Amino acid sequence: MSVSELDFTLAAKFTDFTLNASASIPLNGVTAVFGPSGSGKTSLLNAIAGFVRPDAGRIEFGDETWFDSAQHRWTPPHKRGVGVVFQDAQLFPHLSVRGNLDYASKRADPAAPGHAPSEIIDAMELTVLLDRDPQTLSGGERQRVAMARTLLTRPRLLLLDEPLAALDTARKGDLLPFLETMKTQFAVPTLYVSHDVDEVSRIAERVLMMAAGTIVASGPTDEVLSRYGLEAGRNPYEVASILRGTVDTASESDLVAVRIGNAVLWLAADLHLKPGTEISIKVPARDVAIALAKPDKISIQNMIPARVTGLKDAHRAAFQTVTLDIGGQNLDAVITRKSVQALDLNAGQDVYALIKSATFHA
Amino acid sequence: MSLPDLTSLWLTARLAFVTTLVLLIVGTPLAWWLAQTRSRFKPAIEAIVALPLVLPPTVLGFYLLIAMSPNAWFGGFWLQTTGSTLSFSFTGLVIGSVIYSFPFMIQPLQAAFEGPVRQAMQTAASLRAAPMDAFFSVAVPMSARGFVTAIVLSFAHTLGEFGVVLMVGGNIPDRTRVASIEIYENVETLNYADAHTLSLILLVVSFLTLLSVFAFNRKFPAHVRF
Repeated sequence: MSVSELDFTLAAKFTDFTLNASASIPLNGVTAVFGPSGSGKTSLLNAIAGFVRPDAGRIEFGDETWFDSAQHRWTPPHKRGVGVVFQDAQLFPHLSVRGNLDYASKRADPAAPGHAPSEIIDAMELTVLLDRDPQTLSGGERQRVAMARTLLTRPRLLLLDEPLAALDTARKGDLLPFLETMKTQFAVPTLYVSHDVDEVSRIAERVLMMAAGTIVASGPTDEVLSRYGLEAGRNPYEVASILRGTVDTASESDLVAVRIGNAVLWLAADLHLKPGTEISIKVPARDVAIALAKPDKISIQNMIPARVTGLKDAHRAAFQTVTLDIGGQNLDAVITRKSVQALDLNAGQDVYALIKSATFHA
Repeated sequence: MSLPDLTSLWLTARLAFVTTLVLLIVGTPLAWWLAQTRSRFKPAIEAIVALPLVLPPTVLGFYLLIAMSPNAWFGGFWLQTTGSTLSFSFTGLVIGSVIYSFPFMIQPLQAAFEGPVRQAMQTAASLRAAPMDAFFSVAVPMSARGFVTAIVLSFAHTLGEFGVVLMVGGNIPDRTRVASIEIYENVETLNYADAHTLSLILLVVSFLTLLSVFAFNRKFPAHVRF
């Protein structure tokens, strides 16, 4: 017997959206489930863990069937051997760190392959924390305990639901090496939910890209991310605006037309989304220019009528942030103080926003 | 001050103890169901459970008396299977008290089972704990405060019961004459000395019972560490 793939086709209706996802995932390494919040990542994880029973479909883990609506088959979560690390660690408050870890070791499947408890505790550097109360731990320490606790059950599949999301940037950096240890030293096939490009590109071999409850793309990490115009390593602190719009019928194969109010913005991304789908896009403030009249003979295609609503000093002295209103949404442009003077920009003025780049926002 | 006959106090303590035990066994699964369910019947069941809070005990007692009569379906069935009547018996009192104190057991437990416990049960399942295992190893210890509150309130509330007991049990020494009824009778017969003593004992016991809950809740803000 070889456990080779996790294979699922799922349909589940929730109050605010519908999950309709299908994929085959090789059971090795790390597969990221990537997408904006509300795209169904956590619902998909809940279905695979067995916390939620989908309305229809099936889930197969190697040669085991965990769920099959046609045959009324259902394996409850505690019999799946799926370990879950939640965003907020979910340590049991009535047990010490050691108590939490023992809880897992006592219930481990003795027949499953696994590592010695001492090896896991060492790898997560928990020896000094064993007698502590979970409430006294920092966010990063809690996640390390949660990761060790899950490994101690000897899971056959790991589901990590945004394990870094509750941490600040510095703590994220501290915890990432432990996630990598988890991957290399313990080598349990993993589904890693995240909406952070940097995390995904650092940890995952492949990506399932989700939007509006469906899987819109899957494949090797670099390939999928670049197809969506997403790249790792950009400054996460850069000033950017998030605009919400709907996919317009004018979309072409590699260009998505996004309708924002009366304007249409073109996005270079191979997204096969149905017209009418709501999406978010991210526009870096330094990629927005301002013109008083609509320029012609220019390479920039995204020119949107806008109104100046505010001006303030940017983080660097030479620059100012100009806030524009487009269809009721705010768009920030960072331009030099000299440009503001040259154009004599004032609040209430009608201008054109020239948008040089925009990305699908996850 | 001479000590009055303590039979009624002993009967009251027995009634409160048995009632609380029955409520714990019946109430825990119901409170769990109420905390977890998305059934559309939930509001109706919650309203029924809360009814004793607002209903005059005489109304409850009146219906119970009718249901327990040997001519009624329930009373007749009981007479046939056990050979004794329910009304004016200790068992009848227990049934009445269980219904009367139901919200005091259900509501604290339901509140304890909602919130973090639900998510903790999922976590336990992901750590390979079967549902019953997870209930006793996670839900119960995390709800320790709810259990203490529910048990103490049910016990104390049964101690203070009067109307339902009077309607269902009457006033039979050593069988249904509980402390509250004995006090009433002492007052009726102008035996104020005994009424004073019994009242004071009930007051002190009730105060100490409630004090123990509040002291416990202060010491263990949310849960108990083991």
